[in-house]
Amino acid sequence: MAKTGEEAETFGFMPRVMGAVRSALGPGSGRWFIVAGTIIVAFIVGMSLLAPFISPHGPTELFVGPDNSPPSSSFPLGTDQYGRDMLSRIIWGGRFMLLVAVTAVILCLAVGVPIGLASAYRGGSLDKVVSLVMDSMYAFPSLVLAIVIIGVFGVNAINEAIAIAVVYVPSYYRVIRSQVLTIKELPYVEAAKSIGGRSGHILTTYILPNILPSIVVVATINFADSILTTAGLDFIGLGRLDQPDWGVDLFYGRAALPIGAWWTIFFSGTMIVLSALGFGLISEGLAERAGRE
Amino acid sequence: MTLRTYILTRIALTLPMLLFLLTLVFVVMRILPGNPVLLRFEKNANPALIAEYTHRLGLDLPLWQQYLNYLDELLHGNLGLSMVTFDPVASQILARFPATLELTIGAFLVAVLVGLVFGSTAARRPGSKTDGAVKVYGILIYAFPIFFLGMILQLVCGVWLHWLPVAGRMPQGVIPAGLNWGSIHIQTGLYTVDSLLAGNIVEFFEACEYLLLPCLTLGLVISGVFVRMTRSNMLETMKMEFVTAARARGLKDDTVVYGYAMRNALLPIVTIMGLQFALLLGGAILTETEFNILGLGSYLVDRINFRDYTAVQGTVVFLAILISLVSLMVDVIYAYLDPRIRL
Repeated sequence: MAKTGEEAETFGFMPRVMGAVRSALGPGSGRWFIVAGTIIVAFIVGMSLLAPFISPHGPTELFVGPDNSPPSSSFPLGTDQYGRDMLSRIIWGGRFMLLVAVTAVILCLAVGVPIGLASAYRGGSLDKVVSLVMDSMYAFPSLVLAIVIIGVFGVNAINEAIAIAVVYVPSYYRVIRSQVLTIKELPYVEAAKSIGGRSGHILTTYILPNILPSIVVVATINFADSILTTAGLDFIGLGRLDQPDWGVDLFYGRAALPIGAWWTIFFSGTMIVLSALGFGLISEGLAERAGRE
Repeated sequence: MTLRTYILTRIALTLPMLLFLLTLVFVVMRILPGNPVLLRFEKNANPALIAEYTHRLGLDLPLWQQYLNYLDELLHGNLGLSMVTFDPVASQILARFPATLELTIGAFLVAVLVGLVFGSTAARRPGSKTDGAVKVYGILIYAFPIFFLGMILQLVCGVWLHWLPVAGRMPQGVIPAGLNWGSIHIQTGLYTVDSLLAGNIVEFFEACEYLLLPCLTLGLVISGVFVRMTRSNMLETMKMEFVTAARARGLKDDTVVYGYAMRNALLPIVTIMGLQFALLLGGAILTETEFNILGLGSYLVDRINFRDYTAVQGTVVFLAILISLVSLMVDVIYAYLDPRIRL
């Protein structure tokens, strides 16, 4: 990313982050994708954080109303088969998914980035072995691996995050590796080597900043993927069935479909679509801005 | 590189990949204490019986011994017996596979069709409103959980409009007979093929009716990826000199885009699509669960809950081999059709 003189002046973590956010939302290609995505994500994150204050009923409270009642003035989004208020479940239902997504992205970054950097920079047999392992995981249906891991270890935020991280680290690895392979041949990296820079120093100061935009693109789409994977696990019964969760709503709502109780699945499903869409839009916009098509 | 060395290299690269996946699943499945014997008898069975079953399943051996035994059996083409039902895993997998195959092929066709049409339309005028709309379609459909789209289609086409069946592969108890001609008996398990072989057109259309919604669901969700691939490949091709030359000669836009660019871009596009087979299989699990189709995906989900080690391992090995085979086949056909990539 080209830095303007003004940005280059700002030091410290927060000013730099704010600068990056400002330049991402500013004019340029992909702006509308980024703005629309940010609005959606902000709405969902805000709703999840404020859940205890804005939810009209407890999300797991049974029979606060009649069961399977369609949207009405007292229950704007209807009730499910146990008479639970759908609106409250919607408001609470994103918390777990977001928690899993954040944990998974952090795990992926913590594992994928160093492995990608080291493997591509070192090259040789290390690179060959790591590439083979990553490719074999990449070639395999991610959901199958996630199902095996969750099915065996049991459901909780950390396990789900680990399952998702295992599945998506190869995507990070591929992107980072291909970029490092190009960048490490550039004259300025050669120059840094020739004056005796240590590998770790070269990687963090000269290479990492240049691949950050690509990492951010992968991380945002990883958010979307992780939400969809969590929902998929919920749906096949590998979720926390006693907790408010959009994916779990779909798991239960399936049974009410034949009687036409669309409200038990429609709003929860829409929330999942919205969250994945928000992160997808941001990722697309950032990718366009970084000049990748 | 000749085509033969190319194929051999690809196979040589596939083997360590399979071994790695197999080992991963083997270790993961055995880390937790909950094993198939305990799940079968719960806690109140007598210890002697548990010990006997544990011995029969070879679970009393050290882990490395179990692992070597399993590899040995596998090399002899044996996927072992299910640890719960004691049926051969291979035959269970083969019984479930046709449903998955039928679903993935149908979904693939839907996705290719949507991908080619939308992607090439978008690539005609990059940056236009149409291009933007197609891009938004791609992101939006990607954000849809497969089962949610499936539910909406079931609700609209099945429950409300009564147009299409929403679950299973055929009405209760109906199984297309396949070909019975003298001593020749062919039954593929693919209901569309079997009903045609039996010459039963009514059953064929019925099978298609049952397939329509699941294939549409899976195909549409995957189509987002395919649209993107088509678009970027077409854009690459449209930048090439022969396209500019065609335009310079004053050919009609349609002829340039479809007659020249599309014809040349089609092969790499379909190749990349073929390599997405894993994506289709992953989606098939959710689609099968949603539409109550007894395929490999629902088999896997089912077996996990019983900690049926051999069945889960077998399914994973089978899927991995299948994916490698398909991508090998796609690559080889591509290399055969386009000699440049063998260089």
